[in-house]
Amino acid sequence: MNIIFVLIPLSLVLVALAVWAFFWSVNHDQFDDLDTPALIPLSDETSSRPVEAESKTP
Amino acid sequence: MTPLTCFHCGEPVGGDAPLVARVGALDHPVCCIGCRAAAEWIASLGLQDYYRLRDAPPPRAVAVGDYSAWDRQQLQRMYVHHRDGGEAEVCVLLEGLRCSACSWLIERALSAMPAVREIGVSVPGKRVRIVWQPQLASLSTLLGALAHLGYVPHPLDRESLNDVVEREQRAALKRLLVAGLGMMQAMMFAIVLYAGALEGIEASTRDFFRWIGLLVTIPVVFYAARPFFAGAWRELRAYRPGMDTPVAFAVALVFVASIVETLRGGAHVYFDSASMFVFLLLGGRYLEMRARHRAADVVDALARLQPAVAERLDANGVPESVGVHELQIGDCVVIADGATVPADGELVSVECRVDESLLSGESKPLLRHRGERLIAGSIVVAGPAQMRVARVGAETTLSAIVRLVGRAQQQRPRWSRYGDRAAGYFVGALLVVTAVTAAAWLLIDPARAFAASLAVLVVACPCAFALAVPAALARSLTVLAQRGILVLTPNAIESLIRANYFVFDKTGTLSERGLELVASESVGKLPVDACLSIAAQLESGSTHPIADALRAAAGCAEPARAQNLRSVAGGGVEGDVDGEHYRLGRAQFALATEAEDDDRVVLADGCGILARFELREALRDDATATVAELRKSGGGIEILSGDSHSRVAAIASRLGVDRFGSRVHPEQKLARLAQLREAGMNVAVIGDGVNDAPALAGADLAVAVGGGAELAKSSADIVLAGDRLGGLIEARTIAIATLRIMRQNLLWSLVYNAAAVPLAAIGWVPPWLAAIGMSLSSLAVIANSLRIRAAASRASTPAPAAAPDLTPLPA
Repeated sequence: MNIIFVLIPLSLVLVALAVWAFFWSVNHDQFDDLDTPALIPLSDETSSRPVEAESKTP
Repeated sequence: MTPLTCFHCGEPVGGDAPLVARVGALDHPVCCIGCRAAAEWIASLGLQDYYRLRDAPPPRAVAVGDYSAWDRQQLQRMYVHHRDGGEAEVCVLLEGLRCSACSWLIERALSAMPAVREIGVSVPGKRVRIVWQPQLASLSTLLGALAHLGYVPHPLDRESLNDVVEREQRAALKRLLVAGLGMMQAMMFAIVLYAGALEGIEASTRDFFRWIGLLVTIPVVFYAARPFFAGAWRELRAYRPGMDTPVAFAVALVFVASIVETLRGGAHVYFDSASMFVFLLLGGRYLEMRARHRAADVVDALARLQPAVAERLDANGVPESVGVHELQIGDCVVIADGATVPADGELVSVECRVDESLLSGESKPLLRHRGERLIAGSIVVAGPAQMRVARVGAETTLSAIVRLVGRAQQQRPRWSRYGDRAAGYFVGALLVVTAVTAAAWLLIDPARAFAASLAVLVVACPCAFALAVPAALARSLTVLAQRGILVLTPNAIESLIRANYFVFDKTGTLSERGLELVASESVGKLPVDACLSIAAQLESGSTHPIADALRAAAGCAEPARAQNLRSVAGGGVEGDVDGEHYRLGRAQFALATEAEDDDRVVLADGCGILARFELREALRDDATATVAELRKSGGGIEILSGDSHSRVAAIASRLGVDRFGSRVHPEQKLARLAQLREAGMNVAVIGDGVNDAPALAGADLAVAVGGGAELAKSSADIVLAGDRLGGLIEARTIAIATLRIMRQNLLWSLVYNAAAVPLAAIGWVPPWLAAIGMSLSSLAVIANSLRIRAAASRASTPAPAAAPDLTPLPA
């Protein structure tokens, strides 16, 4: 049973890691918009790179 | 033939030679030059995918305005934040930002500009944050680009870059997660302890698990539960114990008791109960906060109503764009057609028509003559106008309305604290019972005193009691939000049940902003249908509500045949149809005489009058059914509107409402509400305009209909999104169900406590049984709350009223 003295602290470390990762992602805008990123892979990004966009804007 | 719709905005395309936009290899019809420019620009950036990805059509693209005034230093100081490294940052509120595809489009289109460094679009907040290099592009270029895509940009002042709402939301999310993970861990270790208690466990192993449980509960109590402790501290300092006080007490007592038990190797610890309690309560609060933010996010009503720039005439009479805050009393400004009046002032030019519907509720544009007053926030519909500024900034009528809102909000009744106070008494009583138990056992058998008083505390831990109301509320908020009904204030659900007098605004609430044709009468040689068709032809190029109504009535399937169309502001239109010259509009204009002017629209040719059309405001589809339903449930109905007597009377008689007031100012509305409330009524106000905002804030319950002015929404308790008035009936049904469930929850937790506390006090309940009882009573409350959805799906939606027939006028 002595293995629990290793495994339980280990699980606590993993939980702490998970909390840290979650805080990091909240602080880096990962939860601000949950809808748009899902659309990005659907677009054909490379096919037509914007050209001369600046000159077309008013 | 199916009617053509615009490729960009989805509105119907009129005329026989529609404009086309070339996207890819195909020509697509578009409705106007603005939409064509938007579609072609989107295509030229390689962003056609937008049309595939979007799930709501964008606003009709507007012709791009001139934003060069935004490059003025004085204006930029207030709106642009200059960062280190020469970069500038601005936050812009975008009208018409609706779905994720919009944000995708904006991100792509703007990041294609070399000057833009960073861009962040928030769809719920309808705002975009841009970081760019001012040397490469001016602010007006960026704003112009946004307008080019069809979104009307309103830069927000620098404070909005510091987003309070965002910080609040992020903090809540973090606390929720910490509480959730902590709860799972604590429960896992608690199961070991329960199993150990039944099967036997070594004391050292047991203590190890207890210390681990303590370790995972520490962040839950000291980080996640902090809002409860802060709230309790606030409540106690104000000598007004509310809901936070019992929660904080329970968490603190259970936590401290468990630590004591851990230290002295006692019978039981309750770390799992403490963290579960915190997690469930935080979950309820998180849902409530999300619902509140979603609707209240779109604040900044003033940013939309009051323009930021004005055209000021300098000493030589040359117009120059300046910031509104630079205007001074006595300045002369020019207001273009369709522009917003920047300050209160006096008309200098001969005459103009202004739309004050947002401020006064008057649905028709008003004619103003030289020397008459113009109000900031109203829109010049037939201009341009020249105005001498009389009042600026905080002195304007618009600012006064905003202040009225603030004052009325402070007067909001606070009776809803009853429930909180009851919970406060409960905690007080509980503490007394615990103390009495401890004292009694110390006299009888000191060894059992701690276990017994702890059992009392745990068994009666106000979990079920404290969760009874929030669990039911959180559930009903979710169910309501799924139906497009956003509840913004905690009291709203209770107020909705109590409301027994409903005051409606007219324009935009009961009626739509458009018109409909009710009757047409032929006077001359042509039949009614032919006259209507000619009228529709004449109006084919116009976007006026009358034109829309006539076109809709005529069916407008045939191609346009009208030529030489000319519209006269404030009069009507004239033009040739099939070689014949016609005039359509007010009697005065159409007959070119000093005829008596009424609301009817007259069609005339060279010889005289041909037909008369009577138009009226279109009722909302579900207005009749909603009013009928409210009256059936015993509520009083009244209409208070800023519009003219005849229009309000017409709508009132169609709905069968006999109490109504017309030309009512915001102050008078407030006074009328105060009078009704003194008479013992619980008044609900349903409105949408800015002029309703003070009334909304002064009512027992304020309901704003979606799509209304943002200011009205910000002082509302409930927002009916999706423009359905019928949502009010649904909300009421759900509210009644919520109240029933809430009562059951409270009754259950009271019965449970009344039964369990005496048993625990006499020492019959071992602490482990007390913990199980407490958890089960909480679960019962939550399971009961889930039933609100079933009650809601039984709520029926009122059927839309039948469309009115087109009947000839009585002769």
